[in-house]
Amino acid sequence: MTNMRMAEQAARHQDNKIEARDVHVYYGANEAIKGVDVDILDKTVTAFIGPSGCGKSTFLRCLNRMNDTIDGCRITGQILMDGDDIYARSVDPVQLRAKVGMVFQKPNPFPKSIYDNVAYGPRIHGLVSNKADLDEVVEKSLRRAAIWDEAKDRLNEPGTGLSGGQQQRLCIARAIATAPEVLLMDEPCSALDPIATAQIEELIDELRSSFSVVIVTHSMQQAARVSQKTAFFHLGEVMEYDDTPKIFTNPENPKTQDYITGRYG
Amino acid sequence: MPHIVTAFDDDLMMIQARISEMGGLAEELLAQALEAVEKRDAALAERVIARDKRIDELEIEVEEAATQLIALRQPMAKDLRVLISALKISTTLERIGDLAKNIAKRAIVVTKHGPVKLTSSIIRMGRSTQAQLSQVLNAYTARDTDAAVAVWQRDVEVDEMYNALFRELLTYMMEDSRMITAGAQMLFIAKNLERIGDHTTHISEMVYYIQKGEPLGDDRPKGEPVGLDAE
Repeated sequence: MTNMRMAEQAARHQDNKIEARDVHVYYGANEAIKGVDVDILDKTVTAFIGPSGCGKSTFLRCLNRMNDTIDGCRITGQILMDGDDIYARSVDPVQLRAKVGMVFQKPNPFPKSIYDNVAYGPRIHGLVSNKADLDEVVEKSLRRAAIWDEAKDRLNEPGTGLSGGQQQRLCIARAIATAPEVLLMDEPCSALDPIATAQIEELIDELRSSFSVVIVTHSMQQAARVSQKTAFFHLGEVMEYDDTPKIFTNPENPKTQDYITGRYG
Repeated sequence: MPHIVTAFDDDLMMIQARISEMGGLAEELLAQALEAVEKRDAALAERVIARDKRIDELEIEVEEAATQLIALRQPMAKDLRVLISALKISTTLERIGDLAKNIAKRAIVVTKHGPVKLTSSIIRMGRSTQAQLSQVLNAYTARDTDAAVAVWQRDVEVDEMYNALFRELLTYMMEDSRMITAGAQMLFIAKNLERIGDHTTHISEMVYYIQKGEPLGDDRPKGEPVGLDAE
């Protein structure tokens, strides 16, 4: 039994979804990311861990150009998705973000109904042509985010009326409604109780059959539980990037060792 | 480098201190069991049997502390390897204690018979086993992989001594059937020493695993067992 689980832990899909090459990010004069090379595999959960201020969230936000909106933020290097440069002039960041969804630390449902929260993306991107299709997308997304049973009888009630864990799952439903290829999660469970956390983790495990998931987390146990690949960030650099079981049992880099064993923070 | 949470370090050190205590005790019991065989001292043998209980208690203490530490602090990487190894080493040392106790029990039986010629060979084998155990425990404390691997490789010498003793004891018992009872006890004592040698190599493997994060492998040089083929 353990063998099967361990085998599953190994990343099975070796195709690169995203390739980052020599990525530098500057906030004004301050260099936040100092030359990062990382390959994000398709249909795999990749965890970014590291102490606060190490650049893991900044790097995550590069992957769907969320940093574009920050004044004075400058990015050099290359980020390729399926071989195409996502920072090319021809790329529309809004279209990119439909393909690269994001879930944030604090649940942030729109002040709209549960239904409209999920329907919003498919509507503005014109992914559906009629009400029946939209209903189907909403139901499917809510089901995949494991919140359908709790939400199905109150679809017209405001999303903000849900509990924190339910709101977060609603935000995940909203993020997957546009059928993204990559899902970025920036500490998605830090505001949740252990039960809601377990539900989200189960969901992440389920989602990786269809997407690449990249998760930033401060919980090392969470990274160990949900991911197949782990990158350890430290002072704007990737110190070590390897299979998750390797990182947590026998890391190569002494800095990784110190961090995951609680000797550095 | 120490942990940020110092209680974590205290717990880890406590567990390793228990292992050291168990190791010291196992060494001592083995030395005294051998002395009981050599000097035909039944009273000393009785003391060995009584003191083995302390090793059993320590094993339980290590188990409880390690389980608790895993549950409460979720150790990772080398910390995790240190703990898993502590669990396995404590079980190994407990087994060594049992084997020393068994040697002591047999020493009591042997003293009731006349002196056996081969006692000095058994004692020599015992001293080698004892030296191996002592060196591997030092390697554990010092986290010295090279020393641990050296012990691991030298176990073949204990195996060879055992094989030689096995043949000699058989010959001896065939020559004089009155010696069969004592000879059979001696055979078991030799076998126990050979087993202690094997357990010692297991501790070598644990030292290697703690330091390197991978198993030492199983192509250890071994003496060919005798008596298995129809001679």
